[in-house]
Amino acid sequence: MSNVIHASHLTLTYGKTGKEVIKDANFSIKKGEFVFITGPSGSGKSTLLKALYGKLTPSQGNLVVGGLDLANARPRKLQELRTHMGIIFQDYKLVNEWTVKKNVVLPLMIAGYDTEVQDTQAHRLLKHVKLPDHADKYPLELSGGEQQRVGVARALAKNPVVILADEPTGNLDDYSSNVIWDLMENACQQLDTTVLVVTHKIPTIFSLPYRHFIIESKGVYEVH
Amino acid sequence: MKFIKNHLMFILPLMAILLGIEFYLVFERTTNSYEKGLKEGYSMLVVTHKPMELSKFQTLNEHISTSETIKREYIVFEVAKGISKSGSDEILAALPYFYNLGLDSYLHTSGLEKIKKDLEADANIKKVETFGSSYNSNYKLFSFIKLILKVFIVFMAVVSLFLIIKQMEIWKYAHKERMQVMEIFGAPMMLRSGVLFRVAFVDAIFATILVSALFFYIKFYWAAGSGIDIMMQNQEVLFELSDMGILLGSSVLIVVFAVYTVVFSSKGVQE
Repeated sequence: MSNVIHASHLTLTYGKTGKEVIKDANFSIKKGEFVFITGPSGSGKSTLLKALYGKLTPSQGNLVVGGLDLANARPRKLQELRTHMGIIFQDYKLVNEWTVKKNVVLPLMIAGYDTEVQDTQAHRLLKHVKLPDHADKYPLELSGGEQQRVGVARALAKNPVVILADEPTGNLDDYSSNVIWDLMENACQQLDTTVLVVTHKIPTIFSLPYRHFIIESKGVYEVH
Repeated sequence: MKFIKNHLMFILPLMAILLGIEFYLVFERTTNSYEKGLKEGYSMLVVTHKPMELSKFQTLNEHISTSETIKREYIVFEVAKGISKSGSDEILAALPYFYNLGLDSYLHTSGLEKIKKDLEADANIKKVETFGSSYNSNYKLFSFIKLILKVFIVFMAVVSLFLIIKQMEIWKYAHKERMQVMEIFGAPMMLRSGVLFRVAFVDAIFATILVSALFFYIKFYWAAGSGIDIMMQNQEVLFELSDMGILLGSSVLIVVFAVYTVVFSSKGVQE
């Protein structure tokens, strides 16, 4: 199986001070794998995730995602790569002036799908995340758990190659957390999507085989 | 209400800039025509020993554009009333030649002095009268009005620019979140900034229409009945159709600059 993500001697620095967060990291993730990245607060988990979707450029080494070397990627290529990613944030990052439906179909809108396809997909996805009657509501009318499910629906909208999730269940109740883990497991299992989740704690009820990386003292290590 | 307020906050400063531009255009046209009137109404008197052609005057100074000979017979007729024909012939023979010289532009008094000096350098020229004092007061008044209006226009433009910058900050605040989320999901810049461009272009068109309408009103209704000479005489130059193009072009340029600034400044913010 081919590598979807490959890091070699990767060093990431952060902020104006240029503080090293990750140093000389080497790892590879294959298509269809489910990966947890854990580590103490401030260890660089979210920084690594930002680097994976090109928000942060590696200061040394290589980081190849979907065949694109992010250290030297042109903005247009990076933009294209992001259209094949589904990104889930701890603070949801929904557009509050848009309806739930419009938020969900954002990746389809960017890809230029017509409104009919967008409507059908929105209906299917919202049913999938157990929010079928919330299409015309606005994010601020929903609870945190519901907003995060909208975020997951958006991430799944275009059947992405990779899902990157930053603490997706950090602030959520058990019900919403379980729904979200189910959705990500399904995406990985049924669509062969690579899922990479940054979290403090691996959920206790998790049925899929997974890989576990830990970030500690600037290094990225796999736990066997 | 908030919707109208948001639009007005961009339309009003944009209108102020467009008014400044239109005032400038109208002012330039009006002053050009006024300047032309002053220039055409002005001539200097030159007295020569022998007759002189316009080309000869022009070799002495390039600002001289016309030359009109004052008929000596009229002068003799006025001064030699009651004198015999032979007497008046003698006066005519002894009289020098008189010319009114027109200039190609409205010059500063130092320019007039230069012309006077150039002409007096020719041995054939006996006397040059520039009527400098009345010319000088006209010129100073004209320059003063021109300066005041230009200062006013610049001041208005600067204040409006600050208001537009303020509005850009509001735009950034209002649109940043959406543009950043769209950027994360790979939206191209035109799609990210599409809403902002639409809003700004609509405002630009509104501002152009409002300013044009105002000047149409001034030209066709107000100026005609104002009783102000300069307005009535220059009614034709108050607003021209081409001005609408200039105003629309200017407002679109301002919009493109403002929107791109907002889009680029929203890009680097960390999420």
